[in-house]
Amino acid sequence: MRFRKRQRLLIVGLALLLLAGASALVLAALGDSVAFFVTPSEIAAGEAEPGRRLRIGGLVAEGSLSRLPDGTVRFRVTDTREEVTVTYRGLLPDLFREGQGVVVTGTLRPDGTFAADEVLAKHDERYMPKEVADALEEAGYWEGAPRGEKR
Amino acid sequence: MHRLANPRRFRRLADRVWPWTLAAMLLLLPVGLVWALVVAPPDYQQGDAARIMYVHVPAAWLATFVYAVIVVSAVVALVWRHPLAEVAGRAAAPIGAAFTFVALVTGAIWGKPMWGTWWVWDARLTSVLILFFLYLGYIALHDAFDDPQRGGRAAAILALVGAVDLPIIKFSVEWWNTLHQPASVLRLDGPTIAPEMLWPLLVMVAVFKLYFVTVWLLAIQTRLAERRIHTLWARRSAVEARPAAGSPSPAPASPAG
Amino acid sequence: MIRALLAVALRDLRIAVRRPAETLVGAVFFALALSLFPLGVGASPDVLTRIGAGVIWVLALFAVLLSLERMFQGDFEDGSLELLVLSPEPLELLVLGKCLAHWLTSGLLLVLVSPLLAVLMALPAEALWVLPVALVLGTPTLTLIGAIGAALMLGSRRGTATMALLVLPLYIPVLVFGVSAVDGYLLGLGGGTQLLVLGAMLMVALALAPFATAAALRLAFA
Repeated sequence: MRFRKRQRLLIVGLALLLLAGASALVLAALGDSVAFFVTPSEIAAGEAEPGRRLRIGGLVAEGSLSRLPDGTVRFRVTDTREEVTVTYRGLLPDLFREGQGVVVTGTLRPDGTFAADEVLAKHDERYMPKEVADALEEAGYWEGAPRGEKR
Repeated sequence: MHRLANPRRFRRLADRVWPWTLAAMLLLLPVGLVWALVVAPPDYQQGDAARIMYVHVPAAWLATFVYAVIVVSAVVALVWRHPLAEVAGRAAAPIGAAFTFVALVTGAIWGKPMWGTWWVWDARLTSVLILFFLYLGYIALHDAFDDPQRGGRAAAILALVGAVDLPIIKFSVEWWNTLHQPASVLRLDGPTIAPEMLWPLLVMVAVFKLYFVTVWLLAIQTRLAERRIHTLWARRSAVEARPAAGSPSPAPASPAG
Repeated sequence: MIRALLAVALRDLRIAVRRPAETLVGAVFFALALSLFPLGVGASPDVLTRIGAGVIWVLALFAVLLSLERMFQGDFEDGSLELLVLSPEPLELLVLGKCLAHWLTSGLLLVLVSPLLAVLMALPAEALWVLPVALVLGTPTLTLIGAIGAALMLGSRRGTATMALLVLPLYIPVLVFGVSAVDGYLLGLGGGTQLLVLGAMLMVALALAPFATAAALRLAFA
């Protein structure tokens, strides 16, 4: 009986060892995250080659949105360090506006611009009435305020 | 806990509880709906479309909460072998599956105008879809055996294995770059949702939870009654099978009767 | 303890070797089903390259799923499984032995044919080593998770369809990371992270799945 108990202990120990190893691997993997999209900086670093389908995530740069006469929309996606120019034809989602997060899918052209065939707007976790947002903007602390505002 | 294991005692307690939870739900439901759909201000960016979160968020929370309830029932069923725990898990599963479905559908309805797509395969949406399939698998396995007890225990093991999905759902929005936004309410640095929108949301969450408790208690009672009928039938046919029975018939293993 | 594990594995391997038709059917299904895709979606190389890794992984999932039934069912019917459950050796280790044998006769075969299939699907040269490596890390996890499902289904009145309902949702993470590892290398983005995660999932499955499977087996004879 005692022998069996020791056996069980050994097995459980082995299992815990394996779990520890798994956590170590995951921690090592956390270094570079598995992403739904790549960032403009990664593109600038030459990590994606032209012609392949990929997704880029980032913010629509302020003042970069322009509509061409043929219905094409042109804007720049930025991660505050690097930018990628994106062109897109089609309906934009409601949440699409300058300064907002977007995820665009398409292919990189050889000239470094990005031809998108799908534009998805990413929503942030802030919910507030319009007046509050306006007041915050007027007070001039848009970025930090809503997040730090504890109830 | 142990006292509750007696089905008769449980039924008495449940009978005393469910009318109150039902009444509370019926009282809070109009309050929450009017507050959420009329009184609460529209969102600064999404406008009135944000109001779908007053259904989406409570449904999604309930979806994970019910699975947690099933996991707890599974542990109790496997460790202490309480038949009531098996019944409780099985009774909760269809409710959880239904609300997972509601969360997925309302999310899709909101996603089309806001994100620009009905569905994306990002980590949050995928892990919730897996949760939906886990519910279906749990129900299917539970009902795949002639002996309800055997099915209950097997499904309990499956529920424990599937529990790995719960932390993945919760933290998927932080571990990966998902299209789904990060948590707004349950976060370490406090909610990022304005109080005048948070309160109606919490009322709706309470309404959904009360609904779950009410329906769950009723479903458990139904299942207990079913098992009881099953046992009585088995006992009767056992008695009839031996015409000149001098000794009382051995009662068949009655799990919940 | 290790001797018992190896004894179980050897016995299952011997059975598998003596029934080659039954053993190879998974790998044959894998290759056959794969050859349907160029016929179905058109044989243009760029289409095949784009869907190749995903198709190979999905079919690997199905091939393992199909072979799960023979894992315990035969032993359950002829009574030898009950002897394993009653044996004084820890059941978790015996389960591990059966999983080892199952993987050697299912997952390993898929790994061995995968370079060939990569060529059929017009995958670039890197795939010739990435795909087998990813499959080596991923398919044992499929076997270990599948063993839980196979053990849970013993003695039920449902068949493979219900097993698929139990097992496939748990396979999704392996599929996601397996495909993105291969595609990552093929797109030049690197897939080392995904391989690490596949390894981590294998270790977690090794650590936990035998306990769940053993519990399910004991339940079948309770």
